[in-house]
Amino acid sequence: MKINTTFLKHIAKLSRIKLSKKELEKFTPQMKTILESVDVLQEVDTTGIKPMKKRLPFSQLREDIAKESLTQEKVLTNANHTEMGLVKVYGKIFDGIEKS
Amino acid sequence: MENSKYDVIVGLEIHIQTKTNSKMFCTCPTGYFQKEPNTHVCPVCLGLPGALPVPNKRALELCILMGLATNCDIAPEIHFDRKHYFYPDLPKGYQISQYKKPICSNGHVELSNSTVEIERIHQEEDVAKSTHHIETDTNKEYSLIDYNKSGVPLIEIVTKPCIRSGEQAKEYATRIRQIARYLNISDADMEKGQMRCEPNISVQKKGMWEQKGEEIVPIGKYKLNAKIEIKNIGSITAVEKSINYEVNRLIEALETNKEIIQQTRGWNANKNMTEFQRSKETSDDYRYMAEPDIPIIETSKENIEEISSEIVELPHERINRYMNKHMLSEYDANVLSTDRDVAIFYDNLFIGLDKHLKDTPTSAKLASNCITGTLFAWLNEKDISISKANLDIADLVQWNLALHSKEITKNKAEELLKESLNNNKNLSDLLDNFRKQSEKSAGNLTDIVKDVISQNEKAVKDFKDGNNASVGFLIGQVMQKTQGSADPNEARSILMKELE
Ligand SMILES: [Zn+2]
Repeated sequence: MKINTTFLKHIAKLSRIKLSKKELEKFTPQMKTILESVDVLQEVDTTGIKPMKKRLPFSQLREDIAKESLTQEKVLTNANHTEMGLVKVYGKIFDGIEKS
Repeated sequence: MENSKYDVIVGLEIHIQTKTNSKMFCTCPTGYFQKEPNTHVCPVCLGLPGALPVPNKRALELCILMGLATNCDIAPEIHFDRKHYFYPDLPKGYQISQYKKPICSNGHVELSNSTVEIERIHQEEDVAKSTHHIETDTNKEYSLIDYNKSGVPLIEIVTKPCIRSGEQAKEYATRIRQIARYLNISDADMEKGQMRCEPNISVQKKGMWEQKGEEIVPIGKYKLNAKIEIKNIGSITAVEKSINYEVNRLIEALETNKEIIQQTRGWNANKNMTEFQRSKETSDDYRYMAEPDIPIIETSKENIEEISSEIVELPHERINRYMNKHMLSEYDANVLSTDRDVAIFYDNLFIGLDKHLKDTPTSAKLASNCITGTLFAWLNEKDISISKANLDIADLVQWNLALHSKEITKNKAEELLKESLNNNKNLSDLLDNFRKQSEKSAGNLTDIVKDVISQNEKAVKDFKDGNNASVGFLIGQVMQKTQGSADPNEARSILMKELE
């Protein structure tokens, strides 16, 4: 993966962030440093070592019991705009990114 | 849709919301239909920082159940991944889904004369509901979001590109919906969005391509034609219609040398056509990563065996049994199998009758006639389902036996059944009453006939003058006096004797 401004622009677009030319120039080397550090970790030989992720038997999963949710008032507390109990967001949302 | 020049290549993605009480990764209730917006929401399904997902056992059981019913392999470990994209209906900025290791894979479904191969079935979570508007005074675009649907369990069933026509796609989607309903995995109501179908379609020159697993690859220097995805399909019928429309459009484009670009199109049910939505020049970039907040879930053989005990006889298996063992017609077998409750009701009535009659085809025919005749008519009229109607199998067995032994006429039997249904009266009580009445009238049927003759001089005179129609009138009078309990044939023979 080549880390250059084109790559960063792509990532910014996917994240719906607009970066100025100045910001692109500033962040590209930073991103490069971060990813190079990860590359160093990837040099470690991990053959034969199991992932340290926790494992859970199926039987111990959460039982399907519904409990009370937050009130509508609480849910909407952090919304900048609301309308009839719904969260209202401004902006054009159809360009670019494919909706799943 | 046979074409001598081109092959139609279709793959189908079906999303189904599974029927659980709580959401996929939190304890919020799932039933959001017609509920006050944003009242089934908590920090987890709102994607607040620090909130942790806790997988729902039942949801995973239902996903595995769908896999077992479609002959899939079930993975011994369940892994979740994050699929990133930014959209207001996805508050976390990613959807918890499964990428390289779906729970179910390599399945298939047998249709009437084809097999559809299933590539995978994986578990994910639904997104919130958003609607899009334009502010009238400012002309600004905005969206309104209800998070009640966010985090509802969703399974995605993906076929290999092995479907060859709109008709086959429709049959497959119908079968998937039926399995989901039979196994109580989902109500799979497409109008309510509980089931969503997204076909992808391409048209290729015959002999110039081959299917390698889940891929379509060109033969020689042939360049594959682009693939089209269709969204917004709101019914099973639209699955077939939209594919047929698109195939015709693509073939026409090829024949007139128009370029086909890879794109997503939406089905417009009012215009019966697909419409361009957006082009897909680049492949999706979801930056999948392993979900660090959910452990690897270990599924044992015992877990899967326990889940497989929920598998009941599936519709097509049932139809075969009714036709081959019960000797019912294909039509009757289909009608009885469509709804699982009806099928179970039929099975119980059949067993009850066969205990007495020990004659499979006769018991089957009686049970089938009883359900598809008077009962269906009444259920339709009252618009209630067979499981909600107050029906007693033992009573219906007695009713059918009385009908079969000709103890009661068909008309009288139906009259009693309707009376029992309409007035919520016990059918066996009505049958008992009828029997008492007929015993009483059997002894004095001759007396009743004599009464009728003496009270209807004109009709008797008409008969003696050669008007045979008046016999019917006189028999009617006898039947009325016995409240329908007399055998009309017997009444006729007594009447003729008395008139001589
Ligand atoms: Zn929640």
